[in-house]
Amino acid sequence: GRLEALLLEAKGSWELAEKAYSSLLEDNPLDQTIHKRRVAMAKAQGNIPGAIEWLNKYLEIFMADHDAWRELGEIYVSLQMYKQAAFCYEELILSQPTVPLYHLAYADVLYTLGGLENLQTAKKYYTSTIDLTGGKNTRALFGVCLCTSAIAQITKGKSKEEKEGAQVQSLAAKVLEKDYKQRAPDKLPQLTTALKSLTLSS
Amino acid sequence: MGSSSGDLRYELSQNAYIKLVLHSLNHPTSAVNGVLIGRISPSNDAVLIDDAVPLFHSHLGLLPQLEISLMLIEEYFSAKGLNIVGYFHANERSDDYELGGVAKNIGDHICRYFPQAAILLLDNKKLEALKKSKDRSAVTQLYVRDASKNWKLVHSEGNNRFSLREPSANLMLLDYIASEKWQGIVDFDDHLDDISKDWLNPGLFN
Repeated sequence: GRLEALLLEAKGSWELAEKAYSSLLEDNPLDQTIHKRRVAMAKAQGNIPGAIEWLNKYLEIFMADHDAWRELGEIYVSLQMYKQAAFCYEELILSQPTVPLYHLAYADVLYTLGGLENLQTAKKYYTSTIDLTGGKNTRALFGVCLCTSAIAQITKGKSKEEKEGAQVQSLAAKVLEKDYKQRAPDKLPQLTTALKSLTLSS
Repeated sequence: MGSSSGDLRYELSQNAYIKLVLHSLNHPTSAVNGVLIGRISPSNDAVLIDDAVPLFHSHLGLLPQLEISLMLIEEYFSAKGLNIVGYFHANERSDDYELGGVAKNIGDHICRYFPQAAILLLDNKKLEALKKSKDRSAVTQLYVRDASKNWKLVHSEGNNRFSLREPSANLMLLDYIASEKWQGIVDFDDHLDDISKDWLNPGLFN
């Protein structure tokens, strides 16, 4: 039964454990724990494609499992499969639109993907993260600055929205500088130089 | 000037070494990474790695935090005449000896600014064995880029291409592990979550 299968996995008898899990799932395809054990085991063995496959199968049934979507998103990021990672975070934002963590992760992935459209969307999600966190999220503030600079490098002054973008960027920069001045003053000089280089290029 | 990476020695200081290994011990179930700080030796035949900054323990493959951290770190150390001279990576699984895509990409990125940059990959087996053996060699593997810009493992046994600056570094490391000094290590992830946390880890070696 279940306990025996779990014991097999704990002892490292991978093949036997896998057989046991698969047969248990045939009898009861809704056993969440066993599904997850199968994914965990694949991961532990370094069988990442297998882990992805099992995790996707799991999510077809249990699509409301946020932890599973996060896990899948993280695996995709570690494999540099950013489009697939973006999909995971889109699912999370759809189901829990007020959780800033998902907005931030989505923005990070989009920035990493690059390209004008992704950068513009990333900036939107960094901004929504800032809104959802009352202006306190350092990563989102940096993200806004990075996006504005990257967008400006692509559009090179041809876009009207750049002026507006520069305003948001300088606001974010001001918040960052104020925060560093208060809580990490010895790191302020580097911050100021970095922000300057980001605003100069936009 | 510039010898190609084919001739250069790489020398790792105790402080950099211990910081990086302790960082990986602080996050035993995640992949972690960091940057190596240093300079070319006055005799132009070695890259001296004087210090290191632990970077992240989650989402290593995302760009925004990497770009910010490299900007701030480079800015800080260039004022002291030092550069980012390499990259450190520890894989998530202890039996994984592959230099993955993320590590190679970050290494390539660092090479754009410092062409002789190296990658250090944590060797978990060696780290485990350290407690019993009296091995004085580093528990990391060294990778450099060949002429076709591919990352190649450098075999340092017997040719001195990669060495620890202080021969007692492993003894110090074991001492720090025993006193659980890895608990207080601050990386850039920690700093971004709370900027009052100092990624320089000033109190670590006092």
